[in-house]
Order: sequence, then C-alpha cells, then structure tokens
Amino acid sequence: MAHGPHSNDEKIVYVGDSRVRKKTHRPDPADYTAYPGKSEAFIPNFLLKEWMVGAVVLVGFLMLVMSHPAPLGYPADPTNTAIIPMPDWYFLFMYQLLKYPYASEDYLVFGTVIVPGIMFGALLLAPFLDTGKERRFYKRPMASSLMLVTLAAVTYLTVYSWVHYQHELERQGLVPDHIRAEEERQRAREEGREPDTANRPNQQPIAIVGEDEEGYEIYTRATCATCHMPDLNGNPSLLGIGDKHDKEGILAIIHEGVGGMPAQYEDNIAKGLTDEEIDTLAEWLAKQSANPEE
Amino acid sequence: MSEHKDHRVQQPTRANGGKREMTRRQFLGYTLGGTTAFLAAGPVLPMLRFAVDPLLQPASDSDWVRVVEESEITDEPKSFTFVVKQIDGWYESEPTLEAWIARGEDGKIFALNPTCKHLGCTVNWNSNPRFPNQYYCPCHDAHYTKEGKNLAVSPLPLDQYEVKIEGGFVYLGSLGPNQLVD
Amino acid sequence: MLKSIYNWIDERLDVTPIWRDVADHEVPEHVNPAHHFSAFVYCFGGLTFFITVIQILSGMFLVFYYVPDIVNAYNSVDYLQHKVAFGVIVRGMHHWGASLVIVMMFLHTLRVFFTGSYKNPREMNWVVGMLIFFVMLGLGFTGYLLPWDNKAYFATQVGLQIADSVPFIGEYIKTFLQGGSIVGAQTLTRFFALHVFFLPAVLLGLLGAHFIMIRRQGISGPL
Repeated sequence: MAHGPHSNDEKIVYVGDSRVRKKTHRPDPADYTAYPGKSEAFIPNFLLKEWMVGAVVLVGFLMLVMSHPAPLGYPADPTNTAIIPMPDWYFLFMYQLLKYPYASEDYLVFGTVIVPGIMFGALLLAPFLDTGKERRFYKRPMASSLMLVTLAAVTYLTVYSWVHYQHELERQGLVPDHIRAEEERQRAREEGREPDTANRPNQQPIAIVGEDEEGYEIYTRATCATCHMPDLNGNPSLLGIGDKHDKEGILAIIHEGVGGMPAQYEDNIAKGLTDEEIDTLAEWLAKQSANPEE
Repeated sequence: MSEHKDHRVQQPTRANGGKREMTRRQFLGYTLGGTTAFLAAGPVLPMLRFAVDPLLQPASDSDWVRVVEESEITDEPKSFTFVVKQIDGWYESEPTLEAWIARGEDGKIFALNPTCKHLGCTVNWNSNPRFPNQYYCPCHDAHYTKEGKNLAVSPLPLDQYEVKIEGGFVYLGSLGPNQLVD
Repeated sequence: MLKSIYNWIDERLDVTPIWRDVADHEVPEHVNPAHHFSAFVYCFGGLTFFITVIQILSGMFLVFYYVPDIVNAYNSVDYLQHKVAFGVIVRGMHHWGASLVIVMMFLHTLRVFFTGSYKNPREMNWVVGMLIFFVMLGLGFTGYLLPWDNKAYFATQVGLQIADSVPFIGEYIKTFLQGGSIVGAQTLTRFFALHVFFLPAVLLGLLGAHFIMIRRQGISGPL
C-alpha cells in the first residue's frame, strides 16, 4: 500500500521512518472544565487523597491479618467423615441454591447452568441490555430493581447457607477442622511438643495392643465402638491413643467428653457396664501405643 | 517520579526574612512520597523478613552420634557409617554419613569426612598403589595424608568431625574445617 | 545523575508524554472524596488494585516455601505459617486479601452499575471488568485447594462435582481440572499451575486493558 501509486492530493504524513500514517485525530479524554466544580491533577493532588483512603484500608487490613491467623486444618483425608464441605464464602450462594428442589436432582442443570448463566450473562452484557441514555439508577427502574432483587437473593442465600452450616455443626456435634487443628497446636505449644498435625501418608499402621485382653472385650460392649469402630480405627482413630493420654486423661474424656464427643459415662452405665469395667477399659486404652513395649 | 517534576516546581520564595519555604506543590509531593512509602512498606517488609528467614537462623550444632567402640580404632584409618537425623524445613530424613576414623601419632582419635575438597567426589584410604597410605580421590587424582593434608589438586585439607570419647565409645559431632594440619 | 540518565533515555525514546499523560490528567471534583465525602465510592476500583498488588506480592513470596505436592503441600504450608518468621502475616495477607479483593471488586462493580457508568461509550470496559471478576473467582477457587487440608479437599470435591453436572461438556471440564479420576496429586499440580501462572497472566492482561481504556475514555461524568 505504501509504495502503490496514489494521487498527489492525498498527503500522507509518516511517523518517523515507519509506514504508519500519523493520526491527526484521536478521541480526546473528557474535558472536565465543562463540569461545575474544581478538577485537579492526578499526581500529586488526587492520588494523595486516594492513598489516604488506601492507608486507612491497609491499617485495618493488617490489623485483621495480625489478629486472625489464616486457618489451616488437618491434612486432607478423603476418608474423614467429620467434615461438612464448605466453599469459600463468596461461593456460598451458589452452593445454597443447589440445595433447593428446583435446582437439584432432575433439575440440577437449572441450578448449575441456567440460573448462574442468566445471572452472570446478564451482568456481563449489561451495557447491551440497558442501552438507554439515562444514567441515574432511579431513572432506569428495570435495571436497578433487577440488580437489587438479585443482591437481596444472593445475600439471603449466603446468610441462610452459613446459618444452616452452623446448625448442622451443632446438630452433629462437630467442630470445624481448622479449629480442632488450632486447638491441637495450642495444646502442643503448652506441652512443649510438636503438634500432631503433620501429613505423614507413609506411616506404618498402628496395631491394636492386647486384643485378647479383658479390656478389649469391654471396649466392644461399650459405646466407644460405635464411632471409634471395633478395630479402633474409626473416626477419630483410637490406635496409639495411649501416646497422647494416660489412664486418667482417658477417664476424664469418658466422663466429660472432648471436642465433638459428648460425655459417655452415663450411657455406658446405662448399657450395663460397671465402674470397675470402665476403669479396666481406660487402663487398656492407655496401653494403646504406636511403639508398645514388648 | 517526583524527581522529574522539578521543572514544574516553582523555586521556593524568599519570604519571612530569607527563610526558605516549601511550595504547596513540594509539600504535596513529599506527603505523597511518604504515603507511598507507608503503603509499600506495610505489606512488603513482612514479606522480605519472611523471605530472608534462613539467613537469620542460628547455625545449628548437630547432636552427638555414637559411632563405634573406641577399641576398634587403630592407627590405620577405617571407614564407619553412621545415621544422623536431619530436619530440612518440613522434610525430616535420616541420611547415612561416612567418616574415616583413626588414631593420630599422639594417640588421639580423629575423624575425617571423605568428601574431596576439590570438587566433592568421595576419597578412599589406600585405594591407589601410586599413593600408598594416603587418601586418594579417583576423579582428578587428588590425594591427602592420613591427617587429611592436601598434597595435590585439592585446595584445602579434608574436613573433620568433632570427636568425643565417652564410656568407651566414639561419638561424632558437627563437621568443621581441618584443625590437624595447617 | 538520575536526571541525566533520565534525559539520555528520554532523548531517544520520548517517554515523558507517556507518564505525563497519567500523572497530569485532570481528575474531576465529583469523584474527589476531599470535596464530596460520598465520592469515596469511587475509591473501590483503586483499592481493588491495591489489594491485588498485595495478593501478587504475597503469593510470590509464599512460593519461596510452598510445594504443590500432596505429601508436602500441607507440611510446607504448616512450616511456613508456624516456623518461618512473619509466615503467619504473609499467609494471612494472602488468605484475607483473597476475600477482601472480592469485597472491593464487588463494591466497585456496584458503584459502576448504579452510576450507570458502563453505558456508551464504556461498554467494552464493563465487559473487561466482568471478565476480571470471573478470573478473580477462578483464582479464589483454585487457591482454596492449595493448602491441602480437609476444608480445601472437600470444597474442591464439591466444586468439581458442580462442574460435572454441566450438560455435555461437564465431564470433560471435570476431568481436565482434576487431571485424573480422583481429586489427588494431579489435581493439586493443575490447580497450582492455574493459580500461579495461567489465571494471573490473564488477569494482568485484562487489568492492562481495563486501565488503558479508562485512561483513553476518562472517568464518567457527574450524574
């Protein structure tokens, strides 16, 4: 094109040595002198004000960071059943939506594709759906009210999902994983040992100590085996429990409960166990160790 | 960026009996600079401290490891292996190390690390007929005396383990530069 | 000294107009919180960017210690948070920043929506902004798995299950993200790659476009 013959009345101005035609016009940024009020330069006048706001936000942010350490639970364990899966808070509304009958089972596509598709699609294409000249929100009631209704729905779903989660935790007597891990770290700090949270997938399985003893027979009759399973490898596992608690500690847990486990003493007495048997049981459990003495 | 705005800054006026005063623009520039520094330092300083943490860790002395009975050590260096517990960040391992242990002319026991100080190959005692009673490195013909003194190729003598004798056993400690030769 | 270096470069590349355009452009009164307190709603875009910068920096520093591997991921996060000086602050910044950036972006979006600022001629900038929103949600989703604790694992299970329910392509999306038939070693490396390379690259491109467009068109006028 550059070397082709062209008429003399078309004057081409080149930028430097290139064959790019110099633009004589480009859309000027809005001239705010037309608006009432004072405008000011971006640097330093305006940026300073913006960064004052930034400084306030930063101080608040750092205070949050210092007062609330990021949560870290126990290592991922696919067999763990004491977990209610929860996404990060900003996905909760989607998560809640999928629990409703018209967004689950046969209608799952409605909840996972159609509703979010319409919502995010409409948001993405808002400028092409709301093409009127009017900018004030109260002068475009359709767009504004749709947005407000969506906001209300999203807020409701998020809050409801969170409240429901709290109820479920309470009903099932569960403590969120990251809180349990933090309690374990706290205990470990107080006792001056390493917390038992590390991920050791290749650990040798711990064996039951003294399966032919009287303690085991009592264990299978007690309430323990419902959750901790007859092989002791339930949830949570009691294998090697003697490394963490002595006999008195185990008795205290039986009497008072710990974490998500309620007290078991009354139930076991009701089941026909005697105080002596519970004592033998605690003694037997205290012998459970990863490295039993021969 | 602020340096390059100088030509827009009016020269400070000499008012108030010759005292130099800041212009409004200069004042704004400094305030902006200060705020910028605060906004940058707030998040970045913790991150830098986080990144340089290994530099500020005190050098850890390794624990004493029991290696062999004292009676087994002769004037002739012999190789012994021993296992140390090593904690590398989140990775804990028990690597096997090797030491050549012998009695010096004064009867004192010393232990050398067989890593050649030339390029890190492993030396062996008396393994080359050309260099009898010396440590010899097969990679580049470096060789050392019984005390680890470098005779050729290598720039430094062999490193030495700290040695402790207790209850008839030889214990080895941390590795350090050779103190037997100068 | 600095000035002469600058002049040497400027003679050759004529860089002054580039930054002058940014530094000296006039900002109108209606977005200036010093004039109208209510104008603080115009700050959310800038704050989103500020938090994004903190996210990028803290993320870069976290990778000094983090390993994307199912055996070591948890242990390395545990180590960097509890053993390394200021680890709890740096990971805290990244964790809480991830939520804060969503909050700020959400408020920024609402401001633009309710002031009708997305209208002609700024339609393209709105679309780019929404794409940034989606990329941020993607960063949140992929980042959630990386510490490899129970919460991370089970939330990702659910997320991938939702992806699976999309008709026709759902199965492919799930297998692509999962890298295998279970959420495991291959899922973690994929999420890591997306979280630290692919999505941030897309994000930076979109942010560049967002800023160039706002500079070209100027901020929308007062209502």
